[in-house]
Amino acid sequence: MNSLKQWFDVQGWRPQSFQKECWKAYEAGNSGMLHAPTGSGKTYALWGGIVNAAKKKQPLKKGLFALWITPLRALAVEIQQTTQKMNAALLPGTEVALRTGDTPQNQRAKQKRTPPFGLITTPESLHVLLSTKDHQDFFKHLQVVVVDEWHELLGTKRGVQVELALAYLRSFLPQLRVWGISATLGNPDLARRILLGDTQNYSVIKAAINKKISVYSLLPKTMERFPWRGHLGLHLLPLVLTLIQKHQSTLVFTNTRAQCELWFHALLEADPNLAGNIAMHHGSIDKKIRLWVEEALRKNNLKVVVCTSSLDLGVDFSPVENCVQVGSPKGVGRFIQRAGRSGHQPRAKSTIHFLPTHAMELIESVALQKGIAQQQIEDRIPYLNSYDVLLQFMMTLAVGSGFRPEELFPIVQSTFCFQTLEKEKWQWLLNFLVRGSQSLEHYDEYKKVSVLEDGTLRVLNKSIAMRHRMSMGTIVSDAQLRVRFQKGGHLGTIEEWFVSKLKPGEVFTFSGRHLELIRIHNMDVIVRKSKAKKARIPAWKGGRMSFSARLSELLKNTLFEVEKNKSPEFMALKPIFEQQQKESVLPQANQLLIERFETREGFHTIFYPFEGYAIHEALASLIAYRISLWQPISFTMAFNDYGFELLSDQAFDPQAILDNNLFTPDHLLDDLKKSINISEMARRRFRDIAVISGLVFQGFPNKPIKAKHLQSGSQLFFEVFKDYEPDNLLYQQAIEETLDHGMERGRLIQVLEQLQNKTLLWRNCSQPTPFSFPIITDRIRSKLSSESVEERIKKMYLQLEKQPNEGN
Amino acid sequence: MKEIEIEGNHFLLHPSGAVFWQETKTWLLADVHLGKVAHFRKNGVAVPRKAEGSFYQKMEILLTTILPKRILFLGDLFHSFQNNEWYLFKAWIKKQQAEMILVEGNHDVIPAWKFKSLGLTVAAQWQEGPFYFSHFPTEKKNQFAFCGHVHPGVKLKGSGLQQLKLPCFFQTPQKMILPAFGSFTGLHLLKPTQKDNVYVCTQKEVVAMIKKF
Repeated sequence: MNSLKQWFDVQGWRPQSFQKECWKAYEAGNSGMLHAPTGSGKTYALWGGIVNAAKKKQPLKKGLFALWITPLRALAVEIQQTTQKMNAALLPGTEVALRTGDTPQNQRAKQKRTPPFGLITTPESLHVLLSTKDHQDFFKHLQVVVVDEWHELLGTKRGVQVELALAYLRSFLPQLRVWGISATLGNPDLARRILLGDTQNYSVIKAAINKKISVYSLLPKTMERFPWRGHLGLHLLPLVLTLIQKHQSTLVFTNTRAQCELWFHALLEADPNLAGNIAMHHGSIDKKIRLWVEEALRKNNLKVVVCTSSLDLGVDFSPVENCVQVGSPKGVGRFIQRAGRSGHQPRAKSTIHFLPTHAMELIESVALQKGIAQQQIEDRIPYLNSYDVLLQFMMTLAVGSGFRPEELFPIVQSTFCFQTLEKEKWQWLLNFLVRGSQSLEHYDEYKKVSVLEDGTLRVLNKSIAMRHRMSMGTIVSDAQLRVRFQKGGHLGTIEEWFVSKLKPGEVFTFSGRHLELIRIHNMDVIVRKSKAKKARIPAWKGGRMSFSARLSELLKNTLFEVEKNKSPEFMALKPIFEQQQKESVLPQANQLLIERFETREGFHTIFYPFEGYAIHEALASLIAYRISLWQPISFTMAFNDYGFELLSDQAFDPQAILDNNLFTPDHLLDDLKKSINISEMARRRFRDIAVISGLVFQGFPNKPIKAKHLQSGSQLFFEVFKDYEPDNLLYQQAIEETLDHGMERGRLIQVLEQLQNKTLLWRNCSQPTPFSFPIITDRIRSKLSSESVEERIKKMYLQLEKQPNEGN
Repeated sequence: MKEIEIEGNHFLLHPSGAVFWQETKTWLLADVHLGKVAHFRKNGVAVPRKAEGSFYQKMEILLTTILPKRILFLGDLFHSFQNNEWYLFKAWIKKQQAEMILVEGNHDVIPAWKFKSLGLTVAAQWQEGPFYFSHFPTEKKNQFAFCGHVHPGVKLKGSGLQQLKLPCFFQTPQKMILPAFGSFTGLHLLKPTQKDNVYVCTQKEVVAMIKKF
């Protein structure tokens, strides 16, 4: 350890106490968990311990010693540089290599021939390594796996991927140690248990770095022009411009990629001097451009970057002094994370400006400030029984060395995710791979995984193996097309469904430019620059995020103290609260407000539980379903984080709600499963499941391969499973995921119990109220009906296309 | 069933997506995509086998409703290359009395002689009286066309912001596009203009739709 301290001395650093603790714990032979924020020196804390241990084992066996898993490729590069530097000084002659989706073939081959000392990789690339025939040989000297940013992976299917890979590695490396690095989260014990398993030899180390965060709300001078609805927030652009001028470098966080494109354009248009000093960063922009932006940020060459969650993580951008959050961040944890992107120097303060896109979000700003003060960080809810990820993993082993079911089953069961996996379900999964989940029929030609004579399951068909290799990984989205100029030059990827709405000659905005569509060729969208003033903004699909439970609680507490709160936000909101009071009422903590008014669109009934989008979506379908039992009626439903709306063409009687125990938790699951909406929600979830489990093959935008007559959407699969094989585990998984992750089943029951104790406050209003406005103007709607299709069609019509040229 | 008149001839639109031409006692069917499920399964994609069987059930319903003299397939009868589904089809066809005609579609990659050996007449397109039958939508000057390929559907709107997507028969002044008869097939949404007539298919009925701007 002395040489480590010396090395620190040479760099002119003093080891922090959490770093020394990590080194000690590692020397003691422990696994462990380190809670430390990005940029605190956590890499040195763990890699130091590892290098130290390796020094004692001289001469080192030739082979991989340490594996470092990180969620982001961009992070991988940085970590590789840091660790390589340490190795060069402390373990001369050893190498740390990089293995991600971007690693060229010759590098991979070299790594295979002479395994490096350390390997920095992603969960997906680790699985690719497991799909090779001789992977057990490659890993045979592996001592330790470090999982970086575990809080980001936990609660996603990539987290399940990590669980499976670790369980599998442990099965032939019983001495393997595992270390996790995580930011602060609400459920650290669970996070540790999932990663480290049952081991008793572990340490939990906390970096005592308490970063100061200052939050400011951007408030307009007068509230009169403050919109009641909307999600763009462009009305406050002048304030953002002032902030940009005042600081060295600013990050503007938006919640969607479309919003990101819009803000980029609006800023540039408002201040043309920003040209050359402004950039954009989101997940669909070409990797090269993104890397360039990150590098420029680090070198302080940019004044402002408009970005999405793509910049939430990782890389250290010291010059950033200030962040702006456009619209709700939906959770305290994420807000802190984003704020932390600024003021990266030790002891510097982080500053974030919250930009409310509509009036109601100002309440949220106050709630968020409370959340930060009380450190109310969210839990990360892990996935359970993700059959899709398991099937993918089984295929991964089957295309490589193959696996024996009786050996793999206990390994799978040892993970947290699959701890309750029953023998029957396991058998079903095997049957799915070998026989396509059917019993053997003589004319069925199903072919995927074969059972060899010794009982090993292997893929023998080359094209099936290749299709699996190409589609491994759990991050999925709609089919992606590459955007490129006619003469070459890639700009990024775009979802197919957006492009399919465009006609050649139409202009859209992408990567900050106005582009004219020339044509679509194979998987390429070919474009040229356009001088057109107006352009369509691509909307990227992607789940809407819901308020976390913590934020809902904070919001309610904030709202119910309206009278007492004298914050600038609440002073600014005064006219809106007055209007709400005049048209309807401001509910108290023990009341549930329900508003009813009529517009041209029909009868609006709006409920305000303030429990977050996810809970409201569930409540809306539940209440709509229960009302629809009394009379044939069709609803469309809209929801946001504050409440939900049932819109119908006929008015239902308020007494139906007031007299009947509509909010009872009894028969909850049954009623939810019967409501048509859950099937719609499950259908959306099924999209990912179908891709992960290998039902839908997307190919890759940069490697289009022919899959003749094999293209089919996940929608179609969902339909046929629903109609012909409802006991299919993948179909069932979609429903379970909807209940657990989409509707937060556990919390839903609590919310219903609370609602039962509240007084229902029914208000008939003459016009839409300020609270209702953001909800009723939402066009993304779910439907529920107890009328027959024929009955409904009779009341419907076809919207005609307007044809301006007609008659010429 | 919904009865309509085109060029003095009478047609019945069946909720399954088939059309019965009364004057010649012919069932018209588009985009059956037989063997699609088998094709997916052969390539390691586990679509439930039962999804395929529905063709034979649906045919039985059609044939008990009205026994035809002829059945005319408007292309994409089979989804891909030959697989075991072929033998089921062969067994079914042997039991049929009606004359069979296949107008070839883009998915019909099984060679024509194989269909001919089962007794089907195979043609690139078919003309009869004032009508033209093809797989791809075509507009002829003096003939009204029946075609498939598109798998047409429409989006319906109603008060209370209601929406519904359903398969449909899509009629323009010059042609009628049939919905896909196969069950493991998708839907392509079309937007009608003033001149078009749209008949949507529910499970039970065919309904002529009202149009609005």
